Amino acid sequence: MEYLDGIVIIVGLYVILATSFNLIIGYGGLVSIAHPVFFALGAYASAILSRDFAVPVPVAMLAGVGVAAVASIALALPSLRVSGDYLLIASIGFQLGLLEVIKNLRFTGGASGFTNIPPFLIRDFGRESYVVLVLAMMTAVILLVRWIARGDYGRAMSAMRDDELAFASIGRNAMWMKIAIFGLGSGLAGFAGALYAHYFRFVTPEQFELLQSAAILTMVVVGGMRTTWGPVVGALLLEALPQALAFVNLPPSVLGPIQGLLFTGLVLVFMFFRPQGLVPAQDVWRGAFTGARAPGETR
Amino acid sequence: MGNVLEVRGLNKSFGGIVVARNIDLTLQSGRIVGLIGPNGAGKTSLFNLITGVVKPDTGCISLDGAPLDRLKFHQRIHCGLSRTWQHVRLFPSLRVLDNLLIATHDYPGERLVNVLFRRRRLTEHDRVARDRARDILGRMRLADVADALVSDLPYGQQKLLGVARALMSEAKCLLLDEPMAGVEGASYAAMQRVVREVADRGVAVCVVEHNVAFVRDLCDEGIFMFSGAIMARGSVVDLIRDPQLTELYFGH
Repeated sequence: MEYLDGIVIIVGLYVILATSFNLIIGYGGLVSIAHPVFFALGAYASAILSRDFAVPVPVAMLAGVGVAAVASIALALPSLRVSGDYLLIASIGFQLGLLEVIKNLRFTGGASGFTNIPPFLIRDFGRESYVVLVLAMMTAVILLVRWIARGDYGRAMSAMRDDELAFASIGRNAMWMKIAIFGLGSGLAGFAGALYAHYFRFVTPEQFELLQSAAILTMVVVGGMRTTWGPVVGALLLEALPQALAFVNLPPSVLGPIQGLLFTGLVLVFMFFRPQGLVPAQDVWRGAFTGARAPGETR
Repeated sequence: MGNVLEVRGLNKSFGGIVVARNIDLTLQSGRIVGLIGPNGAGKTSLFNLITGVVKPDTGCISLDGAPLDRLKFHQRIHCGLSRTWQHVRLFPSLRVLDNLLIATHDYPGERLVNVLFRRRRLTEHDRVARDRARDILGRMRLADVADALVSDLPYGQQKLLGVARALMSEAKCLLLDEPMAGVEGASYAAMQRVVREVADRGVAVCVVEHNVAFVRDLCDEGIFMFSGAIMARGSVVDLIRDPQLTELYFGH
């Protein structure tokens, strides 16, 4: 059962990662690949605070969310002032640089990783309670992103993505909106990181390399950008496949490259044959609450 | 009728190309001014300079006496400036009505605290915005297509929608960039009527337009631009009849 609990938690966390990345790259139109780094920041911040500074785990988790959000805003602020393209370049540098920093600092545990992270819930209520927590948070994140996308803010995001100059011409500041989206999406990734850290109780910088960027991007693209269920389907599919591969008993030196090939191969296949992903997006914004087709409205 | 927009000593060049040469311009409340001149005269560039899309080399701009020079494009819109685009620039992923609803001066529905705790205020704001949007669509003869996709509209109606969107913010000064290009028939009449109504309510309007008949019928005054400079200002009929300006326009 322990093995299965672990899988369910991993899949749940990847659903959070893919859904929050969908907010950034899909709804926000912001091309960044550094999502795993905010996952890492949340995990490390929460782990260090709770183990070395005796901060209660729930508080440490919230601090992890905060660290990831603040770091993402610090990355977005200078690069988005120039243009959207710089965010991609800056995010690559940020990811590689920050992981090197983590590898070379003593208080992060260096390249060998950070161990003995205090557990949460498990000792008092059993492993199943943590599974319930992760699934509840996963559901909350899915609903939160859906709620944002369907509300007035989502309408503004659609307009911003359509045409930034026209967006400014109706008195809107696209840069602040992008920073808010990036900060929120990255904060949610940090939350996934914190949840990861206090279950598996061990993190290493290797877990957050570029392969993870490729994995999360693939989940969103293959699942379907700008949809509620696309990233969920993508995360389920792409996490289930490697788990299935693990049953084949391949040595880790072969498994790693195979996963990389799988992710890039899937992106290529989908790009050519089903660019809209498994769950196709509605090209036109649909409001759940307001908008052109509000229920009961007379023409 | 007071000066709404004042431009003083505006200069701008890109390398060797001068798009604004020492431009002084005032726009008055309730008056429609037509900006005419050949292609490349700097008409759209002047709009870009006034709205802050492009930064001038020298010169100052004020709206109702308040300087705009240090403000960004979107901040100038909040001060009461509004503009349309030569190539429309609508939001294709929003329906017609939403293209207007998103352009209101204030948007409380995008703030979390309002969405969670001030539902009644939101409903009220939404109702007012909808009424306003439907009223503008009605005057533009676009009421029937409120739920349509922008991409399904013929080009003339898209142009009308571009102007309609610019009207949502209740601006004091409206800059229209070639509103009539590609517009004919019923849309033409609707556009003419609406622009006149806007000016009659006290808005200062400036129109860049190649359609001479439209400028002559609608504008109270004309400004002739050539090579980044204002050559003449006066009645549109006089400007059209001026042989020197005609020569500049057609480049004989």
